[in-house]
Amino acid sequence: MASFFKQKRQVKQREKKKEDESQSKSKTPDYIESSLSANLEIVKKKTGKSPDIIIRTLKIGLNPEIKTTILYVQGLIDNPSVTDFIIESIMKNPHLSKNILPLEAMEIISEDVVSLGGVERVTDWEKLFLTLLSGDTIIFIDEVNVALVASTRGGEKRSIQEPSTHLTVRGSREGFTESNGTNIAMLRRIINTPDLWIESMKIGTVTKTDVSIMYINGIVKEGIVEEVKKRLNRINIDSILESGYIEQLIEDQVMTPFPTLNHTERPDMVAGNLLEGRVAIFVNGTPFVLIAPALFVQFFQSVEDYYNRFDIASATRFLRIIVFIISIVGPAVYVAATTFHQEMIPTKLLVIVAAQRETVPLPAVVEALLMEMTFEILREASLRMPKAVGSTMSIVGALVIGQAAVQAGIVSPAMVIIVSITAIASFATPSYAIAISARIVRFGFIICAGMLGFYGMILAFIILIVHLCSLRSLGVPYMTPLAPLNPKGLGDTFFRRPIWAFKERPQYLTNENNLIREGNNQRPLPPESRGMKTSDGKKGEGNES
Amino acid sequence: MNRKRLVLLLMMLIAATFTTGCWDKTELNEMAIVSAVGLDRNKEGKLVGTFQIINPGNVAGALQGGGGSNPPISIYRATGDNVLELDGNASMKISRDMYFAHANLVVIGEELAKEEGLNDIFDAFERSPEFRATTRIVIARGVKARDIVETLTAIDKVSAEKVIRTIETTEKTQGKSISINLQEVIKNLLSTGKEPIISGFTVRGNTGKEDKMENTMSSDIEANPNAAGIGVFKDGKLIDWLDGDKAIGSMWVLDRIENVHLYLDWEGKKNAVTYSVIRQKTNIGAKIVNGKPKISIKVRAEGDIREANVPLNLTDMHVLIDIERKLAKELKKEMEDAIVRAQKNKSDIFGFGELMHESHPKEWKKLEKNWDDDTFPKLEVDVQVETFIRRTGLRNKPFLSNLQKKDQ
Repeated sequence: MASFFKQKRQVKQREKKKEDESQSKSKTPDYIESSLSANLEIVKKKTGKSPDIIIRTLKIGLNPEIKTTILYVQGLIDNPSVTDFIIESIMKNPHLSKNILPLEAMEIISEDVVSLGGVERVTDWEKLFLTLLSGDTIIFIDEVNVALVASTRGGEKRSIQEPSTHLTVRGSREGFTESNGTNIAMLRRIINTPDLWIESMKIGTVTKTDVSIMYINGIVKEGIVEEVKKRLNRINIDSILESGYIEQLIEDQVMTPFPTLNHTERPDMVAGNLLEGRVAIFVNGTPFVLIAPALFVQFFQSVEDYYNRFDIASATRFLRIIVFIISIVGPAVYVAATTFHQEMIPTKLLVIVAAQRETVPLPAVVEALLMEMTFEILREASLRMPKAVGSTMSIVGALVIGQAAVQAGIVSPAMVIIVSITAIASFATPSYAIAISARIVRFGFIICAGMLGFYGMILAFIILIVHLCSLRSLGVPYMTPLAPLNPKGLGDTFFRRPIWAFKERPQYLTNENNLIREGNNQRPLPPESRGMKTSDGKKGEGNES
Repeated sequence: MNRKRLVLLLMMLIAATFTTGCWDKTELNEMAIVSAVGLDRNKEGKLVGTFQIINPGNVAGALQGGGGSNPPISIYRATGDNVLELDGNASMKISRDMYFAHANLVVIGEELAKEEGLNDIFDAFERSPEFRATTRIVIARGVKARDIVETLTAIDKVSAEKVIRTIETTEKTQGKSISINLQEVIKNLLSTGKEPIISGFTVRGNTGKEDKMENTMSSDIEANPNAAGIGVFKDGKLIDWLDGDKAIGSMWVLDRIENVHLYLDWEGKKNAVTYSVIRQKTNIGAKIVNGKPKISIKVRAEGDIREANVPLNLTDMHVLIDIERKLAKELKKEMEDAIVRAQKNKSDIFGFGELMHESHPKEWKKLEKNWDDDTFPKLEVDVQVETFIRRTGLRNKPFLSNLQKKDQ
C-alpha cells in the first residue's frame, strides 16, 4: 500500500516538472523593452486586456515629442495622488516642455516632477506587475528600458471599527481591519519602541498575499522567529485567503480538535502577547492576526482580565474554566448519572427526573445526542442565514426545542435544561476557537458516558488529558505552565496575580536575558501620613504603619 | 506498523466498543424505585416483605398535572423464606426491576423483632451492592410493618420520607426517638459491649383505610404514622420499649440530645418552668476502682428559660442558681432512671462495655464474658450534672408577678 502511494507521488513530481518547463517557455521576457509600444503590448497580453488597468498616454518634450504612458489599476490607487501629483505635474512641468532626451526626461520625472513619497526604478516585469497590482502607478517612457514606479497605494478600505469577537467592557475599542498596513500601524501606536521588528513576505503563488511577522527584538525567545520564518517559507500554495490558511499550514500537530495557534481581532491583545515574547503573524485581507506560540491556558484569558483588578479577574477566570468543563461534560454527566449511577442522584431529584423520563421513548444517550444535534443545527443555521430570517429562525428553534419536543414527550424537560446550560456554557468561553473544540469533544464524552457511564467518562478524560499534554505549539508544550509545571507561570493561569506582583515575563516564552518587566516594590501603599489633625489643630502623627 | 494493520486494529477497537453495548445500563423508566421495605412474619413462619415503590409521575411537583388523584406510591407484597426470595417472588408482580439504592427505610415488624431477632435478616441488606448502609431502621410497634409501609401521608408524599423525617425531628427536639441506620445497627449487634436501640413507629388513628387516597384527602389525616418510643434489644431480640423520660434519659447518656426541653415543677405547680437546651455535652469515663469497673458520667448543659408560669424573679442571680440546681437534680434523676431500666433489662444500650474495652483493654478480657448478665446490671454509675442558664428569653420577670402585685 505504501509503495503504491510512493509511486503516485513520483508521478506527481514528474508532472510538476513538466508544468514548470511549459510555463517558462510561454513566459514573457524578463526585462522591460525600450520600445513603449512593445511594453504596452506585453502588459495588455499579460493582463488579458482587463479594463480596470488604465493606460494613459501623455506627450512630453518638444521636438521630438516623447511618448510617456502612465499605468495603474483602477480602485487600487489613491485617485488624488495620481491625478494631482503625477498626471498634472507631468503635464504642467516647465522642464518637460523643452527639448530633452528620453533618459533626461526620466531623470526629471523621478527627481523633480513626481511629488510622492516613493519613486523606484524597475527593470524586470515580475516586480513591475507585483507593484502595479498592489496599487502603484507605473510610468513608461518611450525608448527607455526602465520603468518608474510611484507609490500611490490607496483605494477603498474598511475603517477601523470595534472588533466583533473578544468583546470587552473595558479596554480599547479598536479592532484590526483587512489592511495589513493599518494593522501594523495600530501596533506601532501601542508599542513605541524601535525594537518592534517587522518582517514581510509574500505567500501564495497566485495571490501573493502580504504576510508580516511582528515581534519585539530582545523579548522574543531565540529561535522562535527563525522557526516561524522557516515554517512560513516552507509554504508553497497558490493562495492565502485568510490567516486560517497560514494557521493550518504551520501548526505543530494536525490531528487535534484543539487550536495550537491563537488568533485575535484586538491590537491590545496582540501587544500583550508580543510583550510576553510571542510572535504575531499579520495576513493581508483579514482582521484576524495569528499569535504563536499558543498555550492551553491562554484561551481562557481575556484582555479584560488585565484591566480589571486581580480579585475580579481571578474569579472570572476561574468561572471560565468551570464553564469550559461544563460545556464538555454537561450532557455526559446527565447521561451517565441517569442510566448507570442512579444511586448518586438524591432521591427527590431522582423521582423528578424519573417522572419526566416516564414517557420518553428514547434511551438517555439517544435523547442527549438528538438534542445536542438539534442545537448544533440551530446554531449553524442561525450563523449562516440572511439576517432578515433570523428572528423567524429563533422563534421556530425555541418552540421546537423548548416547547413542542417536551410536550410531545419525545424529550424530557431535564434534558432541555442540560442542553441549554451546556449551550450557554459553550458561549461563555472567551475564545471561539476553543469553544468549537469543546463542541466536538462533547459528543465523544456523551457516547463514552452512554456506553460505560462514569467509568467511560473517566477513560475519555484520561485520553483527553494525555492528548492535551502531547500537543505542542511552535515547540512549546501546549499545557505549560501546568505540564511541565512552571510554578512562577501559574500566577497567570486559573487566577491572575496582581499587576504589581507580575515581576517576570513567562520563562517558557520570553528570552531568558530579559525576564524582568517591572521594578521592585511596585505594590501601591497608602501615604506615610494621613494628614489628620489633632483636636488642638496641630498636625497629628497618623502614621499608617 | 503498516497502514493495513492500523486500520484493522482500529476496526477491531470500534467493533469491540459497540458490540459489547452499554454494559450495566438501566434507563430510569425501566426501573422501580423502592423507597421502603417492610418485613413481617406470617402465621406459617415465612417472611412477608412489603415493598413501597415510588410512582414518580404521581409525586406532585414532578410534572405539571401530575400528582393529586393517584397514589404516589405502590405497594407490592411477597412471601418467602429469606430476603432475596422475597425479592424474587415480588418480581412476578412488578413489570420493572426493583432498584434498592434509594430504599431509605427498612421497617421491621414487632413480632419478627421479638421472636426471631434481627440477626437472620440483615445479611442480605449488608451484602447487596445496591442497598445503602445508611438506610434507616425502625420497628413497627403494635402494628405490622406493612401497615407503616403502605400508609399514605400528606406533606411528604412518600411515606418513607415522612417516617425518616419524623424520627429525625423527634430525636432533635424531644429525644424520644433515635435515628439509626443499618450500619450502626449491625455494628452494635456485633459488639459485646453495646446493644442496639431502634426507634419504634406506629400508625395511630382510624386504621383500615390508610392505603386509600381518602386518607390524605382530609386535613386531619385519619391514619397517621407516629414515632413511638425506642426499642431495646438484647442478643438481637427486642425485649423492651423505652418511652417518655426513660427514652430521653437514655438519649442524654448517649449524648444524642440536640435541643430538648426540660420541665421543672415549681412550688407545687407541675412543669411550671421550661428550660430549653441549646448545647450540651455528655462525657463518660470508665474506671476500674478496687478491681471493680465504675462508670462516671458528666453532663454539662447550657440553655434558656423559655417559659415560666409562676411568679419568679428571673433577674435575681440566686433564683437562677436555684433553678439551675433543681434542673440538674431533675436531669440526674432522669438519667439514673434510664440507666436502672437498662440494667434491669440486662442490655448495655449505652456502650459502657465498649468504653471499658477502649480504656482498659486488659481488664475487659476478663469482664467481657459476664458483662451483660452479671457486671453491667450491677455496675456502679456515677452521674454528675451541671446546668447553666444562658438567657431568660425576651423578658425578665414573668408578667404573672405583676398580676399578683395588683391583687395585693
